[in-house]
Amino acid sequence: MKKLADILIECIEEIRSGRSNIAACIDRYPAWRRKLEPLLEIAVGIQEPPDVSPSHEFKLRARANLMEHIHSTELSRKPWPFELTARAKQIAWAGRSKLAAVALAIIATVCGLGGGFAYAAQDSLPGDNLYPVKISTEEFRRVFTVGDVAEAELELTFANRRLEEIAAMTKTEPDAISMAVNGYQRNVTAGIERAEEIKNPAQSANLFESVAMVTLQHLKILDSLHDVSSENSQSSIEQAHEIAFSTHVRALRDLAMENPLRAAEINLLTIDSRLDRARATAEQNETEKAELALIQFEELIRLGEDLSQISKRLGHDTTDVDELNARATAAHMEVLGLIYGKAPEQTKEVVENAMEASAEAHGQAVEGLQEKGAIDNIPQEPPIPDDIPEEVKERILTPGSEDSGGKSGESGNGSGGSGQGSSNSGNGSSGSGNGQN
Amino acid sequence: MHHQDSANAEQINIDLLIQKATAGDANAFGRLYDMHVDRVYRHIYYRIGNVVDTEDLTQQVFLKAWQAIRRYKKTSSPFLAWLIRISHNLVVDFYRSKKHHVNLNHDLRDEDQESNPEQLTEVRFGQARMRAAIMQLPSEQQQVILMRFIEDFPFADIASSLGKSEGAIRVILHRALKKLRGILVNVEGER
Repeated sequence: MKKLADILIECIEEIRSGRSNIAACIDRYPAWRRKLEPLLEIAVGIQEPPDVSPSHEFKLRARANLMEHIHSTELSRKPWPFELTARAKQIAWAGRSKLAAVALAIIATVCGLGGGFAYAAQDSLPGDNLYPVKISTEEFRRVFTVGDVAEAELELTFANRRLEEIAAMTKTEPDAISMAVNGYQRNVTAGIERAEEIKNPAQSANLFESVAMVTLQHLKILDSLHDVSSENSQSSIEQAHEIAFSTHVRALRDLAMENPLRAAEINLLTIDSRLDRARATAEQNETEKAELALIQFEELIRLGEDLSQISKRLGHDTTDVDELNARATAAHMEVLGLIYGKAPEQTKEVVENAMEASAEAHGQAVEGLQEKGAIDNIPQEPPIPDDIPEEVKERILTPGSEDSGGKSGESGNGSGGSGQGSSNSGNGSSGSGNGQN
Repeated sequence: MHHQDSANAEQINIDLLIQKATAGDANAFGRLYDMHVDRVYRHIYYRIGNVVDTEDLTQQVFLKAWQAIRRYKKTSSPFLAWLIRISHNLVVDFYRSKKHHVNLNHDLRDEDQESNPEQLTEVRFGQARMRAAIMQLPSEQQQVILMRFIEDFPFADIASSLGKSEGAIRVILHRALKKLRGILVNVEGER
């Protein structure tokens, strides 16, 4: 049976293309009328704004500014004008900005400030006078680091440094902290991009794993920092958390192309860490933090489904990945039940969504195992704790139903549950390469 | 058929320009700017609501794009989707770093003076209310709604642009519509 989300999208697409209308769609899915109709009305109500255009004068001015900027930096893109050795070419390719950094570091040394100066700078923080020297020495190290593997590792080392800086400033320097967060983003992004450029599959898999494990640690550290930071620093910490999370997901998708089982294992570690976080914060009535952890939990559960699909597409035997997912989702349900009991009313919906995602993932994993006759002692339906209200249980076990008021007459499959866990697989795209800074 | 051919030709042209721009050809990037500036501007204006900041952010989008163009992979998502992703990040930073508040009250100007004024007012009010509600969605839901309904990107492009599966995008869109409904019902209740 189709999920509500799929029916909804199908109807929206037909209506937008003029092939159908709300009434015709609802006639086709009468059981979903109550839920479908208001959402379709909203969707139809979202219309393109009137044709807002930039002024001609602005377009010319902005183009001129852009061209001026490009030409002023053009030299950095041009090839070195004379023959170089292979190593020198690599260094030259690093561009003028790197050379400028080297020059700055050399100037610092020549000016008699020497190694001690650079050494002292290593403890500096954004906003300190010595901080530019610290960054320059990092550029210096980049210039003399050759090869994607070494470059990726170096960026991860620098990302750790940025995190240390963030940790040192959480209580005192809310303004300067954003500088460290921006640096963190640059370092982890450069780290994963270098890893993605590696041609050797074994080497790239190792690095994807490193990026995934490092960012998992970062998530935990940032959780702790978020708890102790001043109010003014919170949004920067949250931004760093988002960066670590998205890089983590990207690394796992990349890793899955080489080693899906390892990607699934790490994903489960991260899922556990999000659940721990949700439970701990729910116990302290930190509603927003608990909700954020649960939303990330849900995204990772769906990522687990994608990893299984990626594994399948690559022709791997998915039994191990599916078994791992099936056992884990069963265990998650118990913890989510505990969180549900402690969550305030407004958070319960987020917990229910997480349970629903878990049940769907369980269903998909069980389906995969059944196909191979490897179901063993894994329960067909995830064990939902007894103290969860019946209507919520029904919603969780009925993919696509969306609120606790769901009536059995609408879905017509009351206890259908896990067997219907439709795959949400999509295309499992690697998602890499949106490389803006 | 003819329309399809010209769309393909335009895509090939864009691919060629990207190739040249990646190799450092400023004129090629200028052509890409000419082809995409209106769409980027419109996207940002919808979310910011004032001309000055929209102009500033639009310029920043193309500067960032130029700086990052060597990392753009055309197999991942279309160039415009990539620009919209950069725009989204800049708008998020704009609201976050400068503590700006979303301008919920502006209406998006329609220069069509021929329309019936009463009808126009009603349409504007409805659109402003919808926009205000969209701006209250979480960032990711906002982006999916705008990319699908306002920018008209197919699901596959939204998915690749955001690094998610199409299935995940469908779920996000479903959630976003539910949330929008909740917001609009609340607004109705307060009136």
